[in-house]
Parts: sequence; C-alpha cells; structure tokens
Amino acid sequence: MILVIGGAYQGKLDYAKESFGVQEASVFRCTEDTIDFSKTCITELEQFTLACTRSGRNARAYLEENREKWENSVILCQDLFCGVVPLGAEMRAWRQETGRLLQYLSREAAEVHRVFCGLGQRLK
Amino acid sequence: MTIFISGGAKNGKSTLAQELAVQLAKGSSLYYVATMIPADEEDRDRIRRHIADRDGMGFETLECGRDILSCLENADREGTFLLDSATALLLNELFPDPTSCGMDDAAPRRCAEGLCEFARRVKNAVIVSDYIYSDAALYDEVTETYRRGLAYVDRCLAKVCDTVAEVSCGNVILHKGVLPE
Repeated sequence: MILVIGGAYQGKLDYAKESFGVQEASVFRCTEDTIDFSKTCITELEQFTLACTRSGRNARAYLEENREKWENSVILCQDLFCGVVPLGAEMRAWRQETGRLLQYLSREAAEVHRVFCGLGQRLK
Repeated sequence: MTIFISGGAKNGKSTLAQELAVQLAKGSSLYYVATMIPADEEDRDRIRRHIADRDGMGFETLECGRDILSCLENADREGTFLLDSATALLLNELFPDPTSCGMDDAAPRRCAEGLCEFARRVKNAVIVSDYIYSDAALYDEVTETYRRGLAYVDRCLAKVCDTVAEVSCGNVILHKGVLPE
C-alpha cells in the first residue's frame, strides 16, 4: 500500500495519477463510513473518518478487518491535524480518529508520500 | 531566479524572503511589492511593522493590491521583486467589494495567471504565500472557495518557480530546486 497525505487542495490525486499510474476509473471517493475496496485508489479518506466519527464506527478497526483488501492499494488522506485543537467535540474526535488511523496506515505502508503545493516528498 | 515560499503563519516566511531577495539583487534594483490593502488600524499597524522590518535593506516599495502585472509598468524588470503575499492579492481580487462577501469566481485563475506571468517577466522574484490547509475544520463555502483558490494559485506558482521552499519555525524544507548561494 502507498499512503499519500497532504493538506486540502494540494494536488494529492494528480500526484498519485502521475507517480503511481492511478486511473480515474479505479478511484473511490469516500463519502460514507464504508469503503469500496474493489477500487485500488481510495481518496478523501478524511471523509470516511468524518462519517465514522458521526456514526460511531471505529475507523481503524474497519481498516484492520479489511486489511488484505487494500494491501496493494493507493490511499490518499488530508493531513488535518496541524491546526489548533478544535473547540467542537465532533471536530476534535474527527481529528483524533484521522490521526490515529494514519499512524496505523503509515506503519503498514510500503511508501508514504506528502504532497505540498503539488510537489511530492517521500517520507517513507 | 524565482522562489516560491509558503508555510504556517509567523514561521519566518517574510524574514527569509527578505534575506533571499537582498541576496539575489546583489546591489541591483530591489522592490517590495506590497499587496495588502489596509482595511483598519490593525492592518495599518502590521504594515508599519513590516516597513520598519525592512528599513535599511534597500527596498523600493510598489503598492499593488490588484492586477499584479500593473506594478511592472514603471519598474526595472532586470531587478529583484519580493511579492508578499499571494494570499492578500487573492483576497483583494476574490472580494472586490470589501463591505460584502460577494465573490469574483474568476479571481483564482486570474491571480494564478498574473503571478505566473509576473514570475516569467522579471529577472528575480520571491513570492510568499500562506499554508492554510492542514487543520480539522469544516469551513463555510465562502472560506472554502478562498482556500481552494489560494491552493490553486500556490500549485501553479510551485510549478513555474525554480525553487519551492516551505518554512517551518524558521527552518527551510526544500521541495524543489536550490536556494541561491
């Protein structure tokens, strides 16, 4: 699995397409608290963790249960944990859930890349 | 040489940008392109602090809050231009009437094209922006349009500039190119 993180609108998907040959047809955009693992590129993972925060699903447990299904995928997620601790409980939970999940995914990943203003940097 | 600098607030972007601009100018024309249009006393205070900061460094100030290429009309293009910041420029262009939230949707593209052309026309440019993309918040559509727009401007500039540097607590993370010797 290749993990790509970066701030909002930094060009993560374009980077994944250029660097790892991701095709549009194989992209799954998260909107709910479930993931279609048949697609080999999972993007906007932060929308999945937001939905999990709202529904009460444990995002990390869900990924762990389906580990063999994303082993060879490219996963993209916004790094949304650099701001001030949010005042709202839901945003706080979202930030924590996303951070914890990404630590796990980062450990499992063969490669980790960060995208800054469209430019990628390999962290792992 | 063109350098694009971004990073979090109060991390030393402007200080680094000033040092690099002075270094690139090597005694030739040196301009500070001021893009902020002050709206209140707080803004005027910040501007006074910035002016004091660069006092004695040899900058000639060009005030240009919109239509960025217009500031080149009477300037020496063989000189060095420090433009601080893309953030303020987009703000002025995206919200033409500061008393309302009415947006000019064409502003991000126009700003990006103007700034990229600016970088192509001058000998040396140092352009500063702000990294506002890594917090856990769901913003209103107006703020989100601004964030999306600035990120677009940033990505276009990162593509055309020779060097892209992120500043973190005064330290430089180089994403592209090299810094001047």
